[in-house]
Amino acid sequence: MNRSSSLFSWLRVPLVLVLAAGLLLTGCQQEKTIKIGYVTEQTGVEAYIGQATVPALQDYIDEVNAAGGVGGYKLQLVAYDTRSEVTDAVSVTKRLIEQDRVTAVIGPSWSAAAIPMAEIADTNKVPIIATTASNVNVTVDEKGELNPFMFRVCFIDPYQGFALADYAYNELGKRKVAFLTDVASPYSVGIQRYFAEHFVELGGEVVAEEGYQTGDTEFRAQLAKVKDSGADVLVAPAYTYRDAGLIGQQMNALGLTITVMGADGWFVDDLLSMAGKELEGAYLTNGVSTDDPAFAPFNAAFEKKHGVKANIYTYYTLDAMYAIKYALDQAVQKVGTPDPVAVRDALENMKDVQVFTSKMTMEPDTHNPHNKPILIMTIKDSKWEIVKTFIPGQ
Amino acid sequence: MELFFQQIVSGISIGAVYSLLAVGYALVYSVYNFTNWAFDAFMAFGAFMAFYAISLFFMPFWAAALISIVLTIVLSVGSERLAYRPLRLRKAPRLFMMISAMGANLMIVNLLNLIFGGSFRRFPVDAAKPFFIGNVSIGRMDLLAGAISFAILALLWWFLYRTKPGLGVRASSIDIMTASLMGVNNDAVAFIIFAVTGALSSVAGVFYGIKYAVFPYMGLVTIKAMIASIVGGLGSLPGAVVGSLILGVLETLVAGYISSTYRDLFSFLFLVIILLFFPNGLMGKSGDEKL
Repeated sequence: MNRSSSLFSWLRVPLVLVLAAGLLLTGCQQEKTIKIGYVTEQTGVEAYIGQATVPALQDYIDEVNAAGGVGGYKLQLVAYDTRSEVTDAVSVTKRLIEQDRVTAVIGPSWSAAAIPMAEIADTNKVPIIATTASNVNVTVDEKGELNPFMFRVCFIDPYQGFALADYAYNELGKRKVAFLTDVASPYSVGIQRYFAEHFVELGGEVVAEEGYQTGDTEFRAQLAKVKDSGADVLVAPAYTYRDAGLIGQQMNALGLTITVMGADGWFVDDLLSMAGKELEGAYLTNGVSTDDPAFAPFNAAFEKKHGVKANIYTYYTLDAMYAIKYALDQAVQKVGTPDPVAVRDALENMKDVQVFTSKMTMEPDTHNPHNKPILIMTIKDSKWEIVKTFIPGQ
Repeated sequence: MELFFQQIVSGISIGAVYSLLAVGYALVYSVYNFTNWAFDAFMAFGAFMAFYAISLFFMPFWAAALISIVLTIVLSVGSERLAYRPLRLRKAPRLFMMISAMGANLMIVNLLNLIFGGSFRRFPVDAAKPFFIGNVSIGRMDLLAGAISFAILALLWWFLYRTKPGLGVRASSIDIMTASLMGVNNDAVAFIIFAVTGALSSVAGVFYGIKYAVFPYMGLVTIKAMIASIVGGLGSLPGAVVGSLILGVLETLVAGYISSTYRDLFSFLFLVIILLFFPNGLMGKSGDEKL
């Protein structure tokens, strides 16, 4: 007893010193660290998203910290797994905001999770930047009201319709369009609507509007009507590449040879082996492509360092991170601290800021990136090929 | 007019695939009075087996099709042994057999998904270029599929009406208890029925795979065959074929002339009307001999 208490007294001084130092240090750290949350998929079928994005974010944050951080603050990444479950996405977002006290959150990659997360962002007044959640209602709710703390770095679904119409009319000289649309998919219907609006505005004509239901595999009845309509271009904004592949095969079977156009739902390499031959010369829109030569050095370095290939999610996630870095700089300059509300204000007013993939301007009334470049791609020799980078309004 | 003929041709080719599956439903229903919901899985399984026989083992098409038929028969007969026979022997209500079939179906389809992955594969045969009569395109594969489907159905008819085991199956379809009292081996009848339906679903799966794509959930189309077999008269073989052709042609005509978006709505509405006037289906018999 005596002995142990003497041991304690012997230890007491250094113990108190260590504890005090620790407290001081953590105190400093808390003051001088900005935590960035990231909601992603690290397990489950979509684990490839997290695997190709978390290391990219960490690399960038290390780079920023090595260069002195943001106004004396060091950045710290806190990434959590959602297993592609909406419920997990919601609970980790709450954890990031309430327990980890992050300044801003990146993610998620899909709209079904982004919509409930927007509410959490607005309630807690912490900005969230969705990466590839492209449904219109992520940033603007169904009543048309803006979610003030929700942003995104990808374009919205219907936007592709606009770019496709422009390209079809102005570059390909098409005048008569036929549609084959999945009427059960808001994505598909939205693209058709925006294509038709813009195409007619330019002077084109809609000669056939055919539809199908998600899961249908038989399109010949509709395609026979398209053939009969005299259309010179068919727009099939299928959400899954299966539909696109089957449409290509069945057009071939019917001897229908007009140009086909689709959107980023087509962009899965399996489509090329399924119907690359039949879809030779078809066009599609896409946000970014890993085949873009501008990303080749980054891709090579990334794969060498991490043993994982960079994919388009890597790019979008970095875009979000670059935007946050910019907003943090602005906020620290303006109010002296990385206040989440100041970060939100800076995000809203982003103008021509260089992010990873391009220059980005945020639309203050929708929180969507303004005139985000779209790639027009074609299928050539059963491979994807970029034919044009389309910037709306130019 | 060309458009009309094109739609009819497409409709018949769709109906031919439905009919292979519809006959399977009819056969099982006629004897056991239950709907075998596992066709879905057999069909996808058959398509996968033929797909891998060609793409992994470089077999010629006919050999791959044969292997697929044999393996699907094994699966079909095996599932009868494991999932239906124990229930049948314990005189379980028919509803339980359907639930058991659904379970088998879910299990097999999900295993296919797990093992082979959910992507859509192109069937590795060269779909020969279609030929044209005027402007109407007729697929060679469709013709082949139609011809083989009807040849198989004719063979089945011959088996049921001209052979002794066929007589046993027909007798069981009238009254399975009495038939077994008269010396018909119930287990042998079950074997025959499930072997035949396994073979039919494999052929349907292969043709469906060639025409569209091979993927684990391709069997969803069997719901159409099920409906065709009800409209034709559940349990009637000629009825199943007629119902399938009507459904196939109806779907393309509705898509072509009424609304492609609401194809299923209008087609099925029409079928409901048929059932209002023919409650047992077009060729269904309420009483005695069903096949």
